Amino acid sequence: MPFLQIQECQGGLRVNYEVKLKVDCNCKVCKGMHIRLLDDEIAYLEGLSGTIALAKTRGISFFLETETREIVLFTEPEDLIVASSFGVGEKVRRGLACTLYQLRELEAPLIVLPKGHPASPRLKTVVSIGPCTHLSCKIQPGTHPEQNVLCGSEEFHELEVVAEPGGAEIRGKAQGIALDSDRIVIEKL
Amino acid sequence: MCTVGGGPDLGEVETLAAKDYECQECNNKFQGMGRRPTCPSCKSRNVKAV
Repeated sequence: MPFLQIQECQGGLRVNYEVKLKVDCNCKVCKGMHIRLLDDEIAYLEGLSGTIALAKTRGISFFLETETREIVLFTEPEDLIVASSFGVGEKVRRGLACTLYQLRELEAPLIVLPKGHPASPRLKTVVSIGPCTHLSCKIQPGTHPEQNVLCGSEEFHELEVVAEPGGAEIRGKAQGIALDSDRIVIEKL
Repeated sequence: MCTVGGGPDLGEVETLAAKDYECQECNNKFQGMGRRPTCPSCKSRNVKAV
């Protein structure tokens, strides 16, 4: 939303006003959907064949455990944990909430499976942690080491989930569904 | 990062650019990544990259 700053003199004092301008802007930033999200809440965005869940990290650290190393992932309080699952409905939402709860509330470590481990295809949820997550349906789950790319279902391809103070913004255009508040469910985590 | 299920499958996790840190309060040594280094043992932010 653009702002116009106006200066006015009142009794010798200079006062600044910020006026929100109502304009039709088509830029990606202005068209993003904003989600207000409290620290103890989880937001679900449900598509046709997939669901995304997000919650604030509250600035805690996360632990990545490999066979030989432990890596601590530091976060800012406004950063997001974003979990994605290929499925919709109550069962999937509960699974996503469980994943986020284990990571954030129980500070459960993330056990890193070696590449090509037979268990990988059986696992149902993918997670990204940080200030910004790019969703892509063109990567194989569990094989992308870049920090901000998360595999998601086709309708979420190329969406961005960006942390902002007090919530999150979903940027981009969903494929085949209208990205509006009807698709968002917010609950206590 | 892309992770899967209860445990992630990061694939090439070993290539992640983690730095070595030492906590100036409790001398804990750890590897970490991100913008807000914090000691995982005592939660102090008084840590130094080594």
